This record gives sequence, C-alpha cells and structure tokens, in this order.
Amino acid sequence: MTRVIEVPTHFDDRSFDTFAGGFGEWPPGEKVLVDARGTQWASPYGLIGILTAGQALAEAKREKPLLTVPTSDEVKRYWARAGFFHEAAELFELHGKVPRGGATGPSDVLLDVTPVRATEDVHGVVHKISEGASRILHGELGLEMKATLRFSMALSEACQNIVEHAGTGGWVAVQAYTFRRRLGRRVVVIAVSDAGVGFRRSLESAHAKRFGERWGDGAALEAALIQNVSRFRDPGRGQGLAFIKRFLDQWEGKISIRSGTARLSIVPPWDEDVPMNEHLPHFPGAQVQIIIPAQEAKTR
Amino acid sequence: MIQTIRIGLLLREAVAAPYRNLVTRPTGAAVRNRIEATLADSNCLTALLDFSDIELVDLSCADEVVAKLLLTVRTAYFVVLQGLREDHHEAIDHVLTHHRLAVASVPPGSRAPRLLGWVPADAREAFTCISEGGPLDVSGLCHNLDWTFSRGREALDDLAVHRLVQPVGQLYYPIQTA
Repeated sequence: MTRVIEVPTHFDDRSFDTFAGGFGEWPPGEKVLVDARGTQWASPYGLIGILTAGQALAEAKREKPLLTVPTSDEVKRYWARAGFFHEAAELFELHGKVPRGGATGPSDVLLDVTPVRATEDVHGVVHKISEGASRILHGELGLEMKATLRFSMALSEACQNIVEHAGTGGWVAVQAYTFRRRLGRRVVVIAVSDAGVGFRRSLESAHAKRFGERWGDGAALEAALIQNVSRFRDPGRGQGLAFIKRFLDQWEGKISIRSGTARLSIVPPWDEDVPMNEHLPHFPGAQVQIIIPAQEAKTR
Repeated sequence: MIQTIRIGLLLREAVAAPYRNLVTRPTGAAVRNRIEATLADSNCLTALLDFSDIELVDLSCADEVVAKLLLTVRTAYFVVLQGLREDHHEAIDHVLTHHRLAVASVPPGSRAPRLLGWVPADAREAFTCISEGGPLDVSGLCHNLDWTFSRGREALDDLAVHRLVQPVGQLYYPIQTA
C-alpha cells in the first residue's frame, strides 16, 4: 500500500502543515508517494521541506519514496534552477521529466538548495552568498551596506544549528521574491531545515526540568528563541538567535521555527501569523525561516 | 613588546581553504588554539590581533576567538584588536557584552583605541581619557574628569581588571598599540 502525500498548490510555510499532516504518524508504515504534479509554486521553505521528509524516511530505513514532479514546465524549470532535483534524486525515485541543468545569468535564487552536513559546508554557504546578497539586500531591498554582513552572519548561525544540534544533515536555500499577498514588497527568505532530533530532544536534558509538565515542542522553541538557551553549558552559547532577533526587529523581519508539533514566530507588524502554534502535525527535525522585507522609504 | 598575529593567516591554516570569513565554532576554536600557541612561544606583553584580512566575523567565531581568548589569557597578556571594520565591531561587541568582557580595538588609520564590550561607564570614560592624554595616576584622572578620588580609583581598577590599562607604580598607562 502506498501513502500519497500531495504537495500543496502554493507550498510555503503557511501550507506546510497540510503537507506534514499527510504523513500521519512518523515514520509512516507505508511506502510514500509525494505528489507535486499540481504544485504551481514552492518557496525555499517548501522545497527543502520535501527534501527533509525524504531524508527522514531514509534515516528511518523506509523504502525509498516516490516523487512525481510538477506538471508545469515553468515550475519544473524553477525547481531545477534552484538545485532541488539534484538533491531530490538522492532521496526520491523521481517520476516525470526533469529539466537538465540550471539557468545562467542573474537570478532571484541567491543560494541553491544546498546540503549542510559539516562545518566546511557552512564556510561554503557563507562564501557563496556574499556577492549576490549585497546586490539584493542593498540594491533591491534598500538595506544599508552593513546589512549584507548581518545577513551572512544570520545565515551562518542558522546553518551551524544543523551541524551542532540536529545530529544529522540538512539543507539551506535563499531566495528573493515578491510577497504579493502578505506584504506587497520584495523579500529575501532564508530557509533552513534538517531531519534531526528537533529542539525538544536537543534541549531536553538541560532544560526540561524547569518547565515541568509544560515541557514539549512549544516550550523547547520558547526556551531557544525567547530565552536564548542552549543545550551546551558554555555561557557563550545561545547568542546566535538573540542577534538574529535583534536585527530582524530593526528591519521588520520575521523569524519562525517549526520543530516537531509546534511553530514559534517573532511576528512583525505586517504579518498576521500567531506567535505560537502548537498541536500541529508532527514533522521531523527543525525548520527555520527568516524573512527580510524591502525597507519602506521612511525607514531607508 | 608587541606580538602581531594575523588572523587571516591563521584562518587559512585552520580551514585549509582560501576563505576570508571567520565563521563556525570549530573554526574559531582552531584559530584561538593557534593564537594561544603563538603566544606561548612569545615573550611579548601585548598581543595585537590583526583582522584586516577578514571579511566576516560571525557570533560563534567572535565568541570562540575573542571572548574565550580574553577569558583564557586574562592575567597574562594585553590583547588589542586591529584592522576591524565597523561591521566586525558589532559581533565582537555583542559577545563581549554578553560575557561582561571588554577589549581595545585600534581603528584603521588611527592610534587611539576604542573599547568594545562591557565596562562600567566611568571606566569607559577613564579609558578614553588615558588613551587620548597618556598615563595618569588616580589624582590626575580625578583632576581631569572632576571626579572624587574613590570614583577615579574604582574606574581605574575596573580597567586594570579588564587588562585595558597597564598599571606601573602609581601610574596607569595606555596599552601599547604600536
């Protein structure tokens, strides 16, 4: 028997829970088919979410899942250009015609879907992003020049969380696009996802006790993002997320972290999300999304 | 005597690649170990860490390289940073403030250091006074800043604890940077 999981038509952080809910109990007992035929658009968060599902299934030693590629040529080309199929081919049995190679020339894809498994990968990511980030952040979004370095720092810290806490590898992708429905402005989005142990298990031994019965995915996210705690006793730890929050506040940016059955967000005024979502369908590991919007004239 | 340590060179040795970004904790720890090894073989009094080849310093590396070095060598050396750009300051200032540490940084093209990190406000003012005006004793500082003697002593004690001035007899000297 095969469990068919439909990728939402518009696949981003908002529709992610529908995708996650398709898996039921983790890991699902049946063979999985991820059906993206009807997908018209996917954010970097959505793309690496699909890969995370594939990785989690592989690590649970489940049969290699199937992935039917989008029917739309335009969507397929975009996914290919973002490097998605290159990574997906390792984790899924791909069905449908996949375009070869990527596009050349300037692109809104600031960083292809890139695996992060070790410290060297973080160096590679930061090295690769620096030039394009300046063009988009300063040139298009109207952020000050030093924003590029803050952005690279945020990316570095987010990727390091995979290496240091997940206990397995993950992915990162960065893209610029226009947030028509929610904001009506250009944004840059960093998406980072892993199929690892998640925040609750990572922090459990050091912090569960003081939360008592409240301890769970939501409390673990609160401990990490609001209280800046770390599983390490080193007092220098836990500053990365604090720093990211500080500059996102300045730029009216948004960070949300989903882990297990909860998602916690620092919500800027332009967004209608709720800060804490609990009792969501379980999904392995942790998914981080950072959104930096174009600055309005008054804040430039 | 001053020992200048080029961080860019240590970074390239640590990652065995031509990257100019000081990122990740393991990289920061490897760079710090090399700094400590260099200092162990040196009879210098001041370690001048030169960041001029560095493009980016992230929080993890600021913590591993600068904060942990200050915690380790606190009683042995004066540590001064040079070649930092404005955006480097932000990461280093953030982690040092978190640890309640401070370090002197010499801006490019200047010999007057500025403080990064946390010291009490009076200590910061005293640091500027001594850096710009040269060595002072407690009475001299209090005269210049119109402070009481105890206030001046406390400010200078704070700077001495953080290895931000060099006490010699009754005088407090600016850290040697050149």
